[in-house]
Amino acid sequence: MSGWPLFIGILTLAYLGWGLLALGQERHWRRVAGTTSRTPFLILLLRGLGGVALAASFAIALLSDGPSFGTLLWVTMLSLSAIAVAFTLAWRPGWLRPLAACLAWTAIGERASRSSPGRRRCS
Amino acid sequence: MGETFRDSMGWLHTWAGVVLGALLFAIFWMGSLSVFDREIDRWMMPETRLAASDRPSWIPLLDAARRLAPDAPSWGFVLPNERVPVVRFYFRNSAGDISFRDFEPRSGALLPDAGTLAGTRFIFPFHYSLHIRWGDLGYWLVGLTGMAMLALLVSGVVIHRRIFADFFTFRPGRKLPRSSLDLHNLTGVLALPFHFVITISGLIIFFAIYFPGVIGSVYNGDHAAFKRDAFGSFQREAAGAPGSLASLDRMVTEATRIWGGAPPYLVRVWRPGNDNATVEMRRTLARSVDMNVDIVHFDAATGSVLRTHTASPVVHLQRFIAGLHFIQFEHWTLRWIYFVLGLSGCAMIATGYICWLETRRKRHAARGLAGVRIVEGLTVGSVAGIVIATLSFFVANRLLPHGASLAGYDRAALEVWIFYLVWLASFAHGWVRPGHAWREQCWSIAGLAPLAVVLNAVTTGDHLGRTLTEGAWAIAGMDLMLLAGAGVAALTAWRLQKRRPTTTGPSARRTLEAAE
Repeated sequence: MSGWPLFIGILTLAYLGWGLLALGQERHWRRVAGTTSRTPFLILLLRGLGGVALAASFAIALLSDGPSFGTLLWVTMLSLSAIAVAFTLAWRPGWLRPLAACLAWTAIGERASRSSPGRRRCS
Repeated sequence: MGETFRDSMGWLHTWAGVVLGALLFAIFWMGSLSVFDREIDRWMMPETRLAASDRPSWIPLLDAARRLAPDAPSWGFVLPNERVPVVRFYFRNSAGDISFRDFEPRSGALLPDAGTLAGTRFIFPFHYSLHIRWGDLGYWLVGLTGMAMLALLVSGVVIHRRIFADFFTFRPGRKLPRSSLDLHNLTGVLALPFHFVITISGLIIFFAIYFPGVIGSVYNGDHAAFKRDAFGSFQREAAGAPGSLASLDRMVTEATRIWGGAPPYLVRVWRPGNDNATVEMRRTLARSVDMNVDIVHFDAATGSVLRTHTASPVVHLQRFIAGLHFIQFEHWTLRWIYFVLGLSGCAMIATGYICWLETRRKRHAARGLAGVRIVEGLTVGSVAGIVIATLSFFVANRLLPHGASLAGYDRAALEVWIFYLVWLASFAHGWVRPGHAWREQCWSIAGLAPLAVVLNAVTTGDHLGRTLTEGAWAIAGMDLMLLAGAGVAALTAWRLQKRRPTTTGPSARRTLEAAE
């Protein structure tokens, strides 16, 4: 049985990971952020960070509960947290707005730092 | 059947779902409850709400065993654990049936018969056998439904047009056919790993029933040889002379040492009282996902180890898959996750039915077909009805006096009769009052669940204020889940009331649906 701080870590990272992956989809981004304008870099960032968060939750699950319980815990938590993200998007999309704002701000910063037209097309 | 592969899969998904969905819901519902079968036992058997204890007192327990089962060829004690505070003594009685009696572990006092099958003997067996005793028919029906579930999962993935685009999509504000399909897809896709593994592992558990020919051909029909190889069964012939029994405590210590600190969960004596008696100990299942087959056999008279057994690789794999399904391990987080994911399966089946009904309602009404009406009654009875029946089972448990009997049926049987009669009545209600049955049955759930909580408090004195402060989590958890269920049912009933077509015109109804 995992300690509570580690379990909350698994839960939070799984929820964040799915939330970021959902924001990587246009429909959910529009519902949360209210705009459709996203750079390809932002989409990549959302999906990449989402994947990293899910992988990190797996790492914590293995650390806290060992290989067999940890894997089982992570796989089942993936299902639960994905359903939780879908319900958040349906009933309380505003909860994911800070996350979207934070990521959009990061991406804008990145775009400003390399504003030459030639390189922008590549990204 | 359709013209394309996807059409064929759609046809299969629709008709397998409509025909077997009711049975599938019953299996999922009872399976979800079985996750907490021991806790339901504590709630339904107030005599067994004891403080947890570790070491049983063997002397009074063995006296009781010799008194209760003087001629039994074997008897055993299932030792108390985190979830079960009693010692369960079981033996084969003179009629050849296996009987149970529960004991208080420390004093060895016999607890009165609880007069109920409760969670472990009604809800759990219902999940895998439907309590159909005729041959193995119940097992086969569950097996057939399990195979259909696998086909439903695969065909469901095939016919899903936008599996990744709609990965997180749930639009509760849309019309019922759309929002119910959203929820069906959501629970189906996002919990797919759980649904797939729980179904296939359920089938693999009963390999010996579903594939009897394999054991027959490999072992030439010698089932005893199979049991020796796979499950380490071991017996000695009875000798003529009476024998003694050495210290069980010392044997428990020795078995625990052999297993690196893991204690036994079962102590069983073969040919008790005989010179050739043996003692079998099985290792606890609490500490790992797989259900080990670690067994130590002792010579009863001397307490020396005769034989140790552990699973072969193939058996180990089968027991790992079985362990994923049985969750006999101690891990409360996973236990709750299994419960919620099991309920998500129930939601998937129910929304599948609702989607079927709502996409056909107008067409069937226009053509004068009875399909929607028949399936709607079936859905109401199999979804809301089984919940009401289960709650009636709980309420009956708290209302029937000790030793109650009617027409030759004892108390435990009466509870089961009430379950089935209420369930049957819910189907009848679904067919007789279409359009009202959902709402009325939801109100029934919202009334019965708090009634069970109140009756528990009145008849046992274990109200939530006491169970929460004293840390009696099995009872407190059961009461809180009943109240939460009542809340969900009341909310559903209230919303169904709001959208009753008799009181609102078409435009008002649209507004209401949009508001939801």
